[in-house]
Amino acid sequence: MAITYDLVKEVTANLYDWSLRRIPESSKAEFRKALATETEPQARQTLAFMLDSAERAETTGKFLCSDAGVPSYSIKIGSGARMEGDIRQAIVDGFAELTRTIQPPLLRFVTNPLTNERSFHGKDMPLVSWDLVGEGDYLDITCAPKALGGGRWAAVEILVSPSLDEIERCILEIVLRAGGQHCPPVVIGVGVGGTFDHAAKLSKDATLRPFGERNPEPMVADMEERLTRAVNQMGFGPMGVGGATTTFGVHIEYASGHGFTPVAVSFNCWINRRTRARIYNSGVVERIE
Amino acid sequence: MTSSSLPRLTLPLTPAAARALKVGDVVLLDGDAVATVGMPTQKRMVSEVEAGRELPLSLRDGAFFHMGVSYEDADDRPGTVHYVNPTTSSRFNHLMPTLIRGLRLTATGGKGGLSQESVDAMRDVGCVYFSFVGGASALLSEGVEAVTDCAWRDLIMQFRLNRLRLDGFGPVIVAIDANGNSIYERLMTSARERMPEIMRSLRSSENKNETI
Repeated sequence: MAITYDLVKEVTANLYDWSLRRIPESSKAEFRKALATETEPQARQTLAFMLDSAERAETTGKFLCSDAGVPSYSIKIGSGARMEGDIRQAIVDGFAELTRTIQPPLLRFVTNPLTNERSFHGKDMPLVSWDLVGEGDYLDITCAPKALGGGRWAAVEILVSPSLDEIERCILEIVLRAGGQHCPPVVIGVGVGGTFDHAAKLSKDATLRPFGERNPEPMVADMEERLTRAVNQMGFGPMGVGGATTTFGVHIEYASGHGFTPVAVSFNCWINRRTRARIYNSGVVERIE
Repeated sequence: MTSSSLPRLTLPLTPAAARALKVGDVVLLDGDAVATVGMPTQKRMVSEVEAGRELPLSLRDGAFFHMGVSYEDADDRPGTVHYVNPTTSSRFNHLMPTLIRGLRLTATGGKGGLSQESVDAMRDVGCVYFSFVGGASALLSEGVEAVTDCAWRDLIMQFRLNRLRLDGFGPVIVAIDANGNSIYERLMTSARERMPEIMRSLRSSENKNETI
């Protein structure tokens, strides 16, 4: 058997729809932990309101946010996956059909950057990255649509032969510049090394890692813990109105590179939009998140 | 604190009512406000104000929010409301001082705040900034009773001027008051001041790699 156009079209559209109506389970757990430790009254009230709204969206099927974001998919392809039909077109067609039928309707947010024309469609929409991984007989698809509030603060700086201190300062300065503008408490994804584009992709991938999973290398895991504490010491807090909960976690990925070292930082707003499923050659669809 | 026990304010506020609010106050909103998320809309508003013309939806002394609105698009007037949600106000930093002064707004709002030039304009005219929780559409939408009017229908829905009737909208936080106090300025200044100490605390906890 094979992974078909029809199945990919249906699954990718569903992942997008689901991502609009619920936050990941691991996010909910982080909210509960933060409510147990946050001491600022307004911050506590904001956290409680966020959690309540997320639970309300989940039970009623309403949208979490009016900004449905730029649809974007990260797809990991097992070397044993067999595909049938135009799989890229399946994603485009699934998205197009969804924008016509979804209830409540989406606002127009896909923007042509040269003309500012807005529509439900556009060049390169949806945005898809494809990576070949391991020997699996599946496509592993994560949908993480990116809205304006969290999307606009991402940045890449290129340092030359930096020390670890300089890398960490660079990360914190990008975070400081964003302040509390990105709908905190956010996941902060960091990519270090490789090339300009690779570091940016690593930082995006890092935002998609579930809470509680640390980088497997102890030195990087330690960096994640120290930077998480450092960001929260800045004091921006939930929605940027003060408090100790600005980030639920700094997630870091790195790659070897050259003497020039890109440092990329991206932010995932508190609704931390992402859903994930695997489609196997057998036609079985496994919902992972 | 439950939402139902919060103080309620009716929009539009008088300048005196706006000046009575303090940074950090948490309230629910009733009454009338006009909302949009459009950059073209706000540029057009600035042009109209600078030309001395009235806007098609009256905003003088009123409440103007950076908020996206989705509703049934009937032929002659807005229909059932689907959802609302704030957008980032700081995108409009360069336009808001003209709108705050020109329209003598008594309340504005959205998320992320406004820069010092707007804070100054707000202090001059008696205007507050309310922070709404972004991404909390499911709850915030329950505080919107109806979209009662809209103007500039040549624009896409969320870019139009949409007039809302609010009923217990919120909770919202007074993040910039009419006396020149801004949570955003205060927190950014404080974070910048803490940076040397934050960097020192990073270095002291681990030995770092040396250049080879």
